[in-house]
Amino acid sequence: MENMVNYNPSFAEEVFRDVDSGDEIKMCMNCGVCAGSCPLREHMDYPPRQIFSLIRAGKREEVLSSKSIMLCTSCYACVVKCPRDIPVMDVMHGLGHYALKQGYVPRKDTANFGKEFWNQVYKLGRIDEKDLPRRVFFAGGFIAGIKAMLNFMDIGLKLMLHRRMKLLPERKIKGVKSLQKMLDKAEGLGKGGAAA
Amino acid sequence: MDKKTAIYICTGCGIGDALDIEQLKEEGTEDFSIDLTKDHPFLCAQEGVDLIKQDIEGEGVNTVIIAACSYRVNYDVFNFGQGVIVQRVNLREQVAWSQPPKEEDTQMLAEDNLRIGCSQAKNTELTEPFKAEEEYSKDILVVGGGLAGMTVALETAKAGYQAILVEKEDKLGGFLGKMKSTITMPYKELSDPGAEDLIKAIEEEPKVKVYTSSTVEKISGAPGLYTVDIKSNGNGASERVGAVVQATGWVPYDANKLGHLGYGKFKDVITNVEMEEMAAAGKITRPSDGSDVKNVLFIQCAGSRDPEHLPYCSSACCLVSMKQATYVKEQNAEAVNYVLYKDVRTVGQAEDFYRKAQEDGNIFIRGEAANVGEAGGKLFVEADDELLGERVKIEDLDLIVLAVGMVPASKPETAPKIKAPADAEDADEDGMMEVMPDSGFFANSALNLEYRQGPELPTLKYGFPDSHFICFPYETRRTGIYSAGCIRRPMETAKAIDDAVGAAMKAIQCTEATAEGKAVHPRAGDLSYPEIDMKRCTQCKRCTEECPFGMFNEDEEANPLPNPTRCRRCGICMGACPERIISFKNYSVGMIGNMIKSIHVPEEDEEKPRVVCLICENDALPALDMAGIKRMKWSPYVRFIPMRCLGSMNLVWIADSMSRGIDGILLLGCRHGDDYQCHFVKGSELAETRLSKVSETLDRLALESERVKFVEVGITDYDKIPVIINEFMETIEKVGPNPYKGW
Amino acid sequence: MKYFLYWGCSLEGTGANFLVSLKPACEALGMEFEEIEDWNCCGASVSYAGANDLAIKVLNARNLAIAEAEANYDIVAPCSSCYIQMIKVNHEIQEDPELLKQVNECLAEGGLSYKGGIKVRHIQDVLYNDVGVDKIKAKVSKPLNGLKVAGYVGCQSVRPYGEYDSVNRPVVQDRLLEALGAEAVPFPTKIRCCGSGIFLPEIDYCMGLVKDILEDALNHGAELISTVCPMCAMNLEMYQGRINEAYGTDFDVPIVYLTQLMAVAFGMDLKKDAALNYNVIPPEGILKAAIG
Repeated sequence: MENMVNYNPSFAEEVFRDVDSGDEIKMCMNCGVCAGSCPLREHMDYPPRQIFSLIRAGKREEVLSSKSIMLCTSCYACVVKCPRDIPVMDVMHGLGHYALKQGYVPRKDTANFGKEFWNQVYKLGRIDEKDLPRRVFFAGGFIAGIKAMLNFMDIGLKLMLHRRMKLLPERKIKGVKSLQKMLDKAEGLGKGGAAA
Repeated sequence: MDKKTAIYICTGCGIGDALDIEQLKEEGTEDFSIDLTKDHPFLCAQEGVDLIKQDIEGEGVNTVIIAACSYRVNYDVFNFGQGVIVQRVNLREQVAWSQPPKEEDTQMLAEDNLRIGCSQAKNTELTEPFKAEEEYSKDILVVGGGLAGMTVALETAKAGYQAILVEKEDKLGGFLGKMKSTITMPYKELSDPGAEDLIKAIEEEPKVKVYTSSTVEKISGAPGLYTVDIKSNGNGASERVGAVVQATGWVPYDANKLGHLGYGKFKDVITNVEMEEMAAAGKITRPSDGSDVKNVLFIQCAGSRDPEHLPYCSSACCLVSMKQATYVKEQNAEAVNYVLYKDVRTVGQAEDFYRKAQEDGNIFIRGEAANVGEAGGKLFVEADDELLGERVKIEDLDLIVLAVGMVPASKPETAPKIKAPADAEDADEDGMMEVMPDSGFFANSALNLEYRQGPELPTLKYGFPDSHFICFPYETRRTGIYSAGCIRRPMETAKAIDDAVGAAMKAIQCTEATAEGKAVHPRAGDLSYPEIDMKRCTQCKRCTEECPFGMFNEDEEANPLPNPTRCRRCGICMGACPERIISFKNYSVGMIGNMIKSIHVPEEDEEKPRVVCLICENDALPALDMAGIKRMKWSPYVRFIPMRCLGSMNLVWIADSMSRGIDGILLLGCRHGDDYQCHFVKGSELAETRLSKVSETLDRLALESERVKFVEVGITDYDKIPVIINEFMETIEKVGPNPYKGW
Repeated sequence: MKYFLYWGCSLEGTGANFLVSLKPACEALGMEFEEIEDWNCCGASVSYAGANDLAIKVLNARNLAIAEAEANYDIVAPCSSCYIQMIKVNHEIQEDPELLKQVNECLAEGGLSYKGGIKVRHIQDVLYNDVGVDKIKAKVSKPLNGLKVAGYVGCQSVRPYGEYDSVNRPVVQDRLLEALGAEAVPFPTKIRCCGSGIFLPEIDYCMGLVKDILEDALNHGAELISTVCPMCAMNLEMYQGRINEAYGTDFDVPIVYLTQLMAVAFGMDLKKDAALNYNVIPPEGILKAAIG
């Protein structure tokens, strides 16, 4: 057979070792409750349990480029339901993080949004809600950014009119420097793998 | 005994509101000589019971008819000791709760029920327990010295009874002695099999007598009275025992039939049993060249759950493979184990070990092996991965372990043949015929019973000894002989121990009950037993053939030789006997016939049909009671007569009923077939077989065959009972009244 | 009853009506709040794109460590994202002392340390268990008179730990709504996710989630939907127009914070205290009619 998959445990070992919560998938017994409980399951190319099966089989490319791993709304439904107590959500976040680090972009807008979010947290210690969308929209280029921006103008305007948009730019927290030191340390100490 | 009979009618629970009690007293008893008739508003209360006791003591009443609730309730309240016959008449579930109150038909039903009860009481005699001439033994013979057998012997001894343990090998231990480790409670890690400790405990136990290198040559007699001939190291020995436990274990499914999985073709494809023995002997290596093992693949359900091979799940193999995967990792932490499975079945708490196997990083692949091959000195497996939906290949394998299932040691390779009787239709040219699994001639030699029905336990379709799986798991179709461990069904060690304890208890119970002349299950404690009027026997062999428990042996003239301690008191022999010469003190062909005759059959112009329902008291009657408790309604024209087992139904009752103008006969019995629910295994099936011959009777009387119907009812089918009854009544209405009315 | 109030970034912006109404309503019940000195963002649920798991934990541990050093009050986190991020660190370090060691190693870079002794509470937890339904009832001067409210619980305010309410069938919000005189309508999707933090980048996928929730609430007779999460409020309220365009529906149902309803029922100022003018879909009409 031409397209036969060769089982290769090395990717599973990589996931166990380098991905945050990656070793938890060992316990998966493929019941599928994670998929059943996921609000965005219908939009996924592989439901979580199949992601786990692909990892066991060694299908690195398919897993790290699957949009499923970045479609998590963090609602914890799968975490609550998993009969094997696998924190499925954490595994998905771990895989998303790892994929981006390895140069994959499983889901463009969410990836940009998440990265910008973290950049702000890192730089300011807090989030500037009006600045964040702007940065996300413009991550795809200027013209696309203008378009996307205009698209959401109405909502921004309404929020502003109802005093739900801080007009002044968000200021850094006082301890931002020391916060950054802590985060740098964590980045080195924690899992998540080295950048490719 | 001179009977002094008293009737007590309870008017509680709605009975008094539904019926005219005074009329009932009069009409229901007029055909019988009754000494006292009383009613009470709450008969099962102390006051009511005291009333009866006063009459027993003061008036010398010795036959008490209680017209109240079902005999399935309050049987402890209405028990007045050995010397008093108690007859129950149902006015509650079958009358007050299921029929409209104060109606003529309801009243007539109650009156008939009371007449039936009076008739039954009249024909009931006090039971006297059977007592054999020889002395009873309470020792227990255990055949098979593996984990289950050794545990039975030890448990028996601990309970204070003598056990005799017979093992064919020269050493006790069975497969337990060949294992490296076991997984048992609490299923967290491997543990020592403990065979040596168990053997030592047995050797130190004075109440266990061990025969190794021994076989059972012959078991003759009956429960409480068995004589066992043992061949031990070429010498003969004899023991007397009261009961027997067969724990002869299992053999692995023959892997030579699994060539498609590479067995026999590649040296490095082995069975789980071979893997276990290799591990126990020392190091796990590749059989082909003795080199180290790194990548191992376990093929689960190798032959199991496959209609071409072993159709069932052995329930232990998943756990065994996980255990053996642990051996591999213990030997080499870098080793990779793949488990190719259909479903992981780690039953109960064994799931914890599945978790451990996952934590250890073993790779579980759901799918079936499609191809096993060799490339570059290593093995590979191609499989259809059901979760990926793709064909996958697992390469570079050093060892493939086939997780084969368990076959009961009793199952012969091919169906044995026996000499066919002269009139057999399926005999071959040599006068031989194949025996069916449910015959006592089918199984491999282990017990060598001197029973007319064959030397071994009848088995079910996969070769395991037949037992009533749900209600009486350790019981077999031979009273006093119990099965335990993997001979009964495939199981892991913890379950085998449970099984052994259960079987030991049943065997002890049997010896105790037998010594008191009591029946074992399901009529536990019954003191009646069948008595045969041999003068009228025609040697037709029906009783000897039809008894599901092999109660009768036979002499050369084909006379039945009863062994009452083998009897379960179902009455199947009584139903089988064309001469009607088998009866119990409190259950006989004549008694039931008279009960039917006591029913008042209205004239045709009254347009009140009458149907007799012969109802099995084990499942159908409780279902009927439940329907009454749920206040379901059904036709008032049906008269229920409980049967010990529908197999005790004698065709003469049908002829009797029909000739008396009864319009129809409904038989409610248990499900039969492979998944039978009959408490006496074959009773309901035999009843239906007999019924197939009833058309002759009906033809002779020029009656329609629709007038007699058999329906299978489960104990949970209470909701169907009214439907069954009412549908039958519709049929009877269509067929019209029985022309024999009033003759 | 003194607490740290960790309101987080959203309550200063899109969730302003939550914070504005929470303070007077809760203070009226005797609660006192203190801010965590120089607090930082919790990282919400999308930071994984830029940070590893340990960094996100350290981010939250910083707030916990500062609070722990300051006073022994419980932290009340009204934003469910802030709540879950903080409580998760607490749970995980309890199960894994090695993790606490690692976290402290990182905190030490900024001269902080955390022992794990501070409790993180949800606002519903505090209202239900510390204040109690009776005290809330006693405070009600303008009961909501049977106003039919769908109490939308969402995800992170109860899942996954279920510290104060069932993860599968939460009831606390309904009991609190009833204390205010409202009728909590049965609402099966009350624990279904709205898309939360990734609504904006995945709007095409997430609109369907909100549509189902709104539909379910209205089908069960709700006149109003209450919530306790700024993401839920934002997603449920601000995108109704988009959803109407995409699905041909005509949603126009006000989304209010539980604390806004409290302020209304306590007879407080509808603007200054209940912050009803912050709502884009105006709830005043319905609420005024209810309190009479």
